Amino acid sequence: MSWIREGELNLLEKIASNVLKAGPMPKHVAFIMDGNRRFARKKNMERQEGHMQGFNKLAETLRWCKQLSIPEVTVYAFSIENFKRTKEEVDGLLDLARQKFERLLEERENLEKHGVCIRVLGDLNMLPLDLQQLIAKAVLTTRTNNKCFLNVCFAYTSRYEITNAVREMAWGVEQGLIKASDVSEALLSECLYSNNSPNPDLLIRTSGEVRLSDFLLWQTSHSCLVFQSVLWPEYTFWNLCEAILQYQLNHKSIQKARELHREEQALQQLEADRACVADLLQHQGNGKPADAKRRQEALHLCTVSREARVQDFLQALKQKRNHFFSDLYGEAVSA
Amino acid sequence: MALLYGLLWRLLLALLRIKRALMSWLRGRLRNRGGSLWERMVAALLLPAALPTDSQKKLEQSSVSGSRADTGSRRAQWLADGKALEKLPVHVGLMVAEEEPSFTDIANLVVWCMAVGVSYVSVYDHHGIFQKNNSRLQEEIMRQQQNLLGLDGSKYNVEVLSNGGDEHQHCVVSCRPTVKVLSPEDGKHSIVQAARKLCHAVENKERSSRDINVSMLDVMLRESKNIPDPELVVKFGPVNSTLGFLPWHIRLTEFVSVPSHRNVLYEDLYGALQRYGVCQQRLGQ
Repeated sequence: MSWIREGELNLLEKIASNVLKAGPMPKHVAFIMDGNRRFARKKNMERQEGHMQGFNKLAETLRWCKQLSIPEVTVYAFSIENFKRTKEEVDGLLDLARQKFERLLEERENLEKHGVCIRVLGDLNMLPLDLQQLIAKAVLTTRTNNKCFLNVCFAYTSRYEITNAVREMAWGVEQGLIKASDVSEALLSECLYSNNSPNPDLLIRTSGEVRLSDFLLWQTSHSCLVFQSVLWPEYTFWNLCEAILQYQLNHKSIQKARELHREEQALQQLEADRACVADLLQHQGNGKPADAKRRQEALHLCTVSREARVQDFLQALKQKRNHFFSDLYGEAVSA
Repeated sequence: MALLYGLLWRLLLALLRIKRALMSWLRGRLRNRGGSLWERMVAALLLPAALPTDSQKKLEQSSVSGSRADTGSRRAQWLADGKALEKLPVHVGLMVAEEEPSFTDIANLVVWCMAVGVSYVSVYDHHGIFQKNNSRLQEEIMRQQQNLLGLDGSKYNVEVLSNGGDEHQHCVVSCRPTVKVLSPEDGKHSIVQAARKLCHAVENKERSSRDINVSMLDVMLRESKNIPDPELVVKFGPVNSTLGFLPWHIRLTEFVSVPSHRNVLYEDLYGALQRYGVCQQRLGQ
């Protein structure tokens, strides 16, 4: 079945959507699509069929998000922990992924028409090579679309993602692009797989479980969390509206908390820059204490040079990642 | 038209807020005085799970402080409650998402957790108020231990740990159970500090970037005390967010919400522990 589900909202849904849109709307929603297997058991289907229904529900949910003017969606499709499942189930899921990514390539024009950009986040080198190549193709093909964004987390866990970000920063230090003292919360965020997206405003988990299961732990520290008991393949437009309402009820308090956190972050960066200044003045100094003007100049210098280093590093990182995909694509084309 | 939708939206949110306030008021009334017949009917409609059952009433009576003779039987009761659960978390996080936290109520919660058999309790609020007033919290915990359990020499002594940035203030009284006071600094900031340490090591050529893996970072974020990840976080307050609570450590944590920590009762905490007791963790499988 298709990634794009055509169709319009009915009158009641349209009214509800307009009422919701009068308030603050999330710009990025993340889903933990849980409950496919329980749904299959409930309906006496095969597990694989449950996962298929789950995918169909994803396509439908993307349409609702588009109609609610939510431009970005991230979904947890396959966790690194899921490799622990039986070989049969894992192979089934990877086959389903192959099918869907192939379908995606067939629908490339439709995706372009709707402006859908697909990104895949995860430790992709854990996947079989042919799937990696398919993913690379899908990502590169839709890269220039920019009306709405779908991030699929595949072979992903948050701890692996954070660790990878730390490794990338260490690589930057090894390459002489940045110093260890440049490491900050903002820089770590830029090194995550999700660096092209803002943090999710709303995280929804279906099937009644009330945990995060290693999904976007860093990015959702100040997101609205909504746990719903409906099974994913049974998710409805009204469930989505309910979640958005929760977001709206929590909006002000979460904004305040985010602001507070941002201020703390700025203070910490200032402290780090001041430490750099102290270092600099010690090295340059002739024993006499520096006056305020010199201190100010030194602070400005430290900040500007840090920002320049960081920009160069992020450019290099971006190129490294692009090469990863284009190399895979090149291999696929020549194969 | 946009104006109409705007009005409808404001009305909808107002209704939801009124419902929330009503529920909270009813909960309070039912607890204190059983409530009038009308209140109980409305509560049954809005909050089917809120009407106290007989066993809950017993729990409620047991949490009220009383004479020394009572404390002994209460301790035994609470320990038995803990054993009655299918599974008891080793580490519980108490997350206060409300303004102006009440030290007495938090101290009660900590003491109840320990009485029920929880080994580690973390206390968190995103303003860092508990951490800034660490000694006041410690005093309050001692006081409630006296009230509720009858301080019994070295049996239930508490070790309160707190990180104030780079300073580690350890108030060691005896071994376990342990209470940790956390603030947002212990979350992302700790991860950044660990990252900086690793990058320094790389800068000094002591390590290669390729050496860095998940278990290395995990060990660094676990500090010296080897406290396990919180299996359960009880969130107090209406805000549906983790508000920066230990992002690395909550990957498998169950989140249970309690409307407020003010005048919280033992049965609220026990209810959360019961919910934890029945959840099934499949761990990816």
